[in-house]
Amino acid sequence: MLRDSPRSRVTLAVLVALAVVLLVLDGRSGHNPVTAAARAGGELVFVPAAAAAGYAAAPLSGLYDTVRRAPGASERIAELEAANAELKGELHAARLDEGRAENLDELLHLSGLGGYEIVPAQAVTRTTPRGYADVATIDAGTESGVRADMTVVNGQGLVGRVIDAGPRTATVLLATDVTSAVGARLESTRKIGVVTGGTVPGGPEADLTLELFDMEAPVEAGDRLVTLGSHEGAPFVPGVPIGTVEEVQVAPGALSRLGVLAPAVDFASLDLVGVVVAGPAEDPRDSVLPPKPDAPEREK
Amino acid sequence: MRSAVTLLSVAVVVLVQAVVVNRLPFGALSDGGPGPDLAVAAVVALALTTGPATAAGWGFGVGLALDVLPPADHAIGRYALVLCLAGYLVSLIHRNTGAPGGIGARTSRWFALGAVLLAALGVGVAYAALGVLMGDPRAGLSDIAVAVGLGAGLTVLAAPLVTLPLLWLRESLSDHEFATVQGPMSPGGW
Repeated sequence: MLRDSPRSRVTLAVLVALAVVLLVLDGRSGHNPVTAAARAGGELVFVPAAAAAGYAAAPLSGLYDTVRRAPGASERIAELEAANAELKGELHAARLDEGRAENLDELLHLSGLGGYEIVPAQAVTRTTPRGYADVATIDAGTESGVRADMTVVNGQGLVGRVIDAGPRTATVLLATDVTSAVGARLESTRKIGVVTGGTVPGGPEADLTLELFDMEAPVEAGDRLVTLGSHEGAPFVPGVPIGTVEEVQVAPGALSRLGVLAPAVDFASLDLVGVVVAGPAEDPRDSVLPPKPDAPEREK
Repeated sequence: MRSAVTLLSVAVVVLVQAVVVNRLPFGALSDGGPGPDLAVAAVVALALTTGPATAAGWGFGVGLALDVLPPADHAIGRYALVLCLAGYLVSLIHRNTGAPGGIGARTSRWFALGAVLLAALGVGVAYAALGVLMGDPRAGLSDIAVAVGLGAGLTVLAAPLVTLPLLWLRESLSDHEFATVQGPMSPGGW
């Protein structure tokens, strides 16, 4: 029914064979010179083009944000006015108060708390054409000291790990990706578990799922988690906040306890991130976690 | 001339996909969901205006370019294989079914958009199937259904900006020398 010349079929067969060879080459683990060279070439084109697009799109994205936020703007103004009045009151109180050194702590970045050495980078892309993988491209690469299997964080906590690094860009596998698994430790009880992106089989619907190995370990909503850390800090350095337990599922007969996590990082608005190029000299444990929110102070 | 212009515009489409479309906030629709795929739209336009072998070549090239450009979320060759087959099949079916217009004649706009829809669905399914074959754990059935459907819809929405201009460009720069030759003057008037 579908006629075609033999020559054309041979062309198709050659191209398909070539694609399969590339797939096999790149699918194998380990370094491969052919695909690495190809990726380096792709990046050579991508970096200037992405920079130009970012430069050209800056006013447009500003406009987009303005339009998108317009419906909530009046509410937001009222909210800000209220907050402003409150802040003015607090300012008066603060003058009378002793110098509040605690405020300075908030200015200290996560890296200062944990003793990490961080390379800052900006997330350039967030979606992939087919939309399965949860990855982001960042604009720092091996020239800035970024290598594969390094931890990526931002001001709030763990973002993910670098899976591929070119000279000037790197691909980050976000913690919410289904293939991502992070060793985790509970802040309060020091019990260990694994935080998996998405939903594990039999688990509840979630962005991040916690699997605790100890069935008896006390865990409840509100418990916070930090990374456990890997051997020599790759791919995960210890002590980075991952998220807060929202809900614990007790499934009869299960081998582990599952929990739904609220990520510490807002993955929808990923912008400035840091790649940890050197881990802390010693495990910071949970000193990186922000202080527990206090009970609401009494009205002034 | 024609191939140079085509090469240039396809390169622009691929770069726009990698640099602009991939950073648009489509993820807001459903967490990390799919965006439009301009590559499919471009390959369909090329496939409707050439033979199967050339279309397969174009598909392979476009797919490979997108494989190589960041982000490196899948193995190189996966997209090249899928788009190569897509280009070949679209062109083969178009040639063999006597779809509206023969060689050299203009392709109907609606027909082209329909071809983009079918190709986008096919590419989505084939890409996901290849993922299943290669043991990609992200490919769950419901995820695939959503990603393929949503992605194909967005691709068709983007197609008037890619497929139709490319079709127009390639048809107006036709290789047939007589395509631009005027017919004989009408002898009326005398």
